[in-house]
Amino acid sequence: MNDDEFGFRIRQALNEGAERLDYKTVLRLEKARAAALARQRHAGPETVRLPAFQAATAGGPAEPGGGRRWLFGAAWVTPILALTIGFVAIGQWQNDREIARLAALDFAVLLDDGPLETYADRGFGVMLQAERPTTR
Amino acid sequence: MATREELSEFLAGVERRAFKQAMFAVRDESHALDIVQEAMMKIAEKYGDRPAAELPLIFTRILQNATHDFFRRTKVRSTWVTLFSALGSDDDPDADPLETLEAAGDTRAESSEAAYGREQIVAIIEEEVARLPARQREAFLLRYWEDLDTAETAAAMGCSEGSVKTHCSRATHALAKALKERGISL
Repeated sequence: MNDDEFGFRIRQALNEGAERLDYKTVLRLEKARAAALARQRHAGPETVRLPAFQAATAGGPAEPGGGRRWLFGAAWVTPILALTIGFVAIGQWQNDREIARLAALDFAVLLDDGPLETYADRGFGVMLQAERPTTR
Repeated sequence: MATREELSEFLAGVERRAFKQAMFAVRDESHALDIVQEAMMKIAEKYGDRPAAELPLIFTRILQNATHDFFRRTKVRSTWVTLFSALGSDDDPDADPLETLEAAGDTRAESSEAAYGREQIVAIIEEEVARLPARQREAFLLRYWEDLDTAETAAAMGCSEGSVKTHCSRATHALAKALKERGISL
């Protein structure tokens, strides 16, 4: 028996199996069909289609009009990218702010411009003590 | 452009085969029905204005993609869910063959021993088809059940015609060997 003949016999058996689906399954398939038909797309005045964007359907064969998948991909990536850029920008801004604050403090100390309470503050003294070895 | 009647007729003609194909792949009735429903919705919504002659190939592609998408989603969600659905397959060792007989008995006038034997053979063939590696099964079913030619099968599977021939040949031999081992000669 050649491949085609064998395939034909298997096909007959599979058809028989498909005809023997239980009532519940057949009913659900009918419902699905009715729901699909209710949403059938009808040709409008513009029926020209752009060619499918093949590269976007990696992992499965391309469907006609598959370019939309690329858009879905972009819709995922864009907010993530925006969020990442936002986090980096916020981090940078906070860093700059901290540097500016410390620079202002240093200036105030160097110019003896700080309030007297600063020198009386135990925490400030400890900070100066701790920073001394590294600043020299 | 396909009319509503043409689309309805087309879907009615392919829905059972589509369900079986999805079943072979996912081995879960509920998921298989979801896949077929998704494919039907998609073809009606997005390709309902295509000529009726184009519908079979488009539907085949949509069904393939819907099945692949199902596996992708399942993989992303969790790996044990896949295992769980595999355990819910027809390979249940405690399954009672009489249940199959009773269920099928309603739809068939034939109720003799011969009919029961034939049902068992069909069940074994379906079981062995489901056991084929995914790509081999896809190629075999598209080629011999959906009656697509090699080029159409290659287009639907997104591979070369040579690959389709290889997959089909391997599937045929594996199936013939498995059926022979189970005492079935076609």
